[in-house]
Amino acid sequence: MQNLSELVRRLIAAEVEFVLVGGLAAVAHGATLVTRDVDICCRFTEANLKRIQKAFADLHPVHRSRPDLPLGLTREQCASLKNLYLRTDLGVVDCLGEILGVGGFDQVAEHGVVVDSPVGKCRVLDLETLIRAKEAMGRDHDRIAVKQLREVQKRQARS
Amino acid sequence: MPDSAKARSHPMPDEISNRGSALNEGALAYRSAESGAGTGDFDISLLEESLRMSPWERMLANDDALNFGESLRAAMERRNAES
Repeated sequence: MQNLSELVRRLIAAEVEFVLVGGLAAVAHGATLVTRDVDICCRFTEANLKRIQKAFADLHPVHRSRPDLPLGLTREQCASLKNLYLRTDLGVVDCLGEILGVGGFDQVAEHGVVVDSPVGKCRVLDLETLIRAKEAMGRDHDRIAVKQLREVQKRQARS
Repeated sequence: MPDSAKARSHPMPDEISNRGSALNEGALAYRSAESGAGTGDFDISLLEESLRMSPWERMLANDDALNFGESLRAAMERRNAES
């Protein structure tokens, strides 16, 4: 059973510095495409990465590329990682240090909008920046998502 | 009932076979692309339905759709293995 919203809820509860990006951000804005993972852009400091590790500790987190190795981040790994691709009991989480077409965490955070969740505020990449990021990716399903997000944007401008 | 709760009320594949009922054609997930005022690429009525929910409710609905799809795929695999 996958539970992407629970993964997001845990990140918020653990006070991880992150911005929700990718397909789940598109869903949060209203896109109807079903997404299978959680993509976040986060600050790649040791403290923040350890918060992520703690948030998922009881969900058997592993590196997607090495599922035989449980997640056990060392100081050296934290210093060298640019991205962190995880699999947990509740689904896949991609932690990205930067977003194509936008920049690093600080640039992405500038384009975050706050969304309420049952456990607090969640920052989600704003509509215009998400569209720009998805256009930069240029994959087929991103093109469909962009069309939907443009429609959402049009409706927001009218209201 | 909030829309997210409605989305979760769809029967799972095992329930469908137990009930012997057909898939609900009026349900959100089974509406054809032509049924809404479509743009040709997607069903605008589904987008409108999504926009009536809060962002968090949309994420919950995504989980429901994801798990429904996976349970349907598992049920089909079991059925194929039996036949």
